[in-house]
Amino acid sequence: MDLLLSALSVALEPTAVLAVVIGTFLGLVFGSIPGLTFTVALALVLPVTFSLATAPAIGLLLGTYIGGMTGGSVSAILLGIPGTPSAAATVIDGYQLTRRGKASLALGTAVIVSSFGGLFSLFVMIVSVDLVARMALHFGPVEIFALVLFGLSTICGLSEKSLVRGLIAGVIGLMLMTIGLDEMEGVQRLTFGTITLQQGVNLLVAMIALFAVPHVIEAFAEYYRGEHRHVDAADVTAELPSFRVLRSNFWLMVRCAFMGTGIGAIPGTGGPIAAFLAYAHAKRSSKDSSQFGRGALAGVVAPETANNAVTGGAMIPLLSLGIPGDPATAIVLSGLLIHGLVPGPMLFIEHPGEIYTIYIAIIIAYIAVLGIQLLGIRFFVQMLRVPAHLLGVGIIVMCGFGAFAIRNSVFDVYTMGILGVIAYALMRARIPLTPIVLGLVLGPTLEREFRTALILSEGSYGVFFSSVPAVIFYLLAVTVIVVHFVGQSRSARAMKQKTEQQQKEAV
Amino acid sequence: MHAAHRDQLVGSLLLIFGAIWTAVVYLTVPAGFGDGIGPRAFPLGLGVLLVILSAMLLISGFRKNRANADMPEDSEEIDAAMTRIDLRMVGSVFVVIMVYGFLMEKVGFVIATLLIVTSTLWLVLGIRRPLVIGAMAVGLTGGCWLVFGKLLGAYLPPGTWISLF
Repeated sequence: MDLLLSALSVALEPTAVLAVVIGTFLGLVFGSIPGLTFTVALALVLPVTFSLATAPAIGLLLGTYIGGMTGGSVSAILLGIPGTPSAAATVIDGYQLTRRGKASLALGTAVIVSSFGGLFSLFVMIVSVDLVARMALHFGPVEIFALVLFGLSTICGLSEKSLVRGLIAGVIGLMLMTIGLDEMEGVQRLTFGTITLQQGVNLLVAMIALFAVPHVIEAFAEYYRGEHRHVDAADVTAELPSFRVLRSNFWLMVRCAFMGTGIGAIPGTGGPIAAFLAYAHAKRSSKDSSQFGRGALAGVVAPETANNAVTGGAMIPLLSLGIPGDPATAIVLSGLLIHGLVPGPMLFIEHPGEIYTIYIAIIIAYIAVLGIQLLGIRFFVQMLRVPAHLLGVGIIVMCGFGAFAIRNSVFDVYTMGILGVIAYALMRARIPLTPIVLGLVLGPTLEREFRTALILSEGSYGVFFSSVPAVIFYLLAVTVIVVHFVGQSRSARAMKQKTEQQQKEAV
Repeated sequence: MHAAHRDQLVGSLLLIFGAIWTAVVYLTVPAGFGDGIGPRAFPLGLGVLLVILSAMLLISGFRKNRANADMPEDSEEIDAAMTRIDLRMVGSVFVVIMVYGFLMEKVGFVIATLLIVTSTLWLVLGIRRPLVIGAMAVGLTGGCWLVFGKLLGAYLPPGTWISLF
């Protein structure tokens, strides 16, 4: 109780609350503009947290994460373009509602159900996270290695269409993190004798390069090609849904919130999958499924509840095991590390106060989401009108400052430029960027625990199969890979059959 | 560019990169001593893994090429190719970031930001409206200086040639 009270006093300090509100606002802005995802916002906000105390820093990051997840619905509903991938399922019925003149109702409903989904998942997280962490307390190097390997297996889910490309990306991420001074034996690896490379590639610099720089290049190229988006929603407000509407959709909201939390807790899945599964569930369970795709409000309720419920779910493996499920949580993890909070079971023993601060910051963020969206929806509609190339210039400045601020080193600005261009080239080569992040984040732990386990076992590889939890994690990793592989070959077969049929018809 | 050709190109480049990486690691990183594995094993293993995966991508590119030999190229794949505009923008953004880093060190954050915003708008984007350029340059520089430097107390590079703030 004392811990909760002291956490409350820290989290409710004006600077901490202000940081959450500013973060939420930034997240909403970045989330609502198509192409500018909240991952970009998080990458840019991260260096700003260096000069803040722990509570405002956590608040700023969590606010940006939560605001961004919610903001994606604005452009999805008004323009038919999802602001973030998580809002893709909202487009189907949300945009139809706009075309039928019900944009305000769709936006208002999205705000309410998003907050419901988020707070519901927070409750589930509080109940389960401690339990998972307590179990993980008994883990040694072998179990942690197996756990990280399982975390890496989720690359399959993040690989988009090609498993080989996803694996290539994961390996590139792991390779990048081996550059620099080897932390166990102090040997220089791929530094070519330079002092600057001894520190290795900074994780945060890599994050900014991977997510922000390719976005700027794309925005500039689109400007040159003359591609502009048109916004025609001048009289939009956020209209609250009636109590009757909410009551009729209540159980759907609860089911979708459970679905989102569960999916979010599995690393490598995330918002888009949860939103589409929830949409499919809503359509299946509806009495009149013919309305879906033509502007059914339940088609907005289901995906928006689920994608926000992912936030709480994703925090479970992040806080209890130190495994980030997506790039956004990977950046949140980096932010926590900077402030001396190492996610994992020990976090609950060493920093219980900060854990409560995290919970309170999430609650404040959802209250801020509600307030800002309901009162200031017009502002976000106006934001959609700001040309992407001008925002791109602002992002270059933020990237430059961010990369420099990490270690007060211009070398990091140069590294960011080089990695950014490589990231864009990889993106165009259809190599997904998200597995690179997973490799970057989990790489050092994977190597350290593997080598420590081998030293402890005096070089015997049998140690990796000597523990039950480790074997369970291996089996889970194999299951994830097999399930993905089977799914991929099925869809490839279906595609082949479709093409053959089309060819036959053409003949 | 067809998907098959793209896979061949990307596979070849990554294969070469993986091979060079593996060779450099083998030649420059010591194998280590004692129980367990040394500092060389992980980067070496990853290099080999990249070579194998790139070879798989290359082979799948050849297979696709054979399968698609008689089929016309679809428009989506043509769109995926790097256009001249894309390449120009990649080069421009790269140069802008590099020059920004250099200027930050030499003339400090404030002058560097003013110069970079102005030149990006003028030279890279070809915008010729003085009001937009002026407002963006002064607004962004002033905003960053105020929020990061003054409000948050972050360290902004002062510049070795000229130091304004």
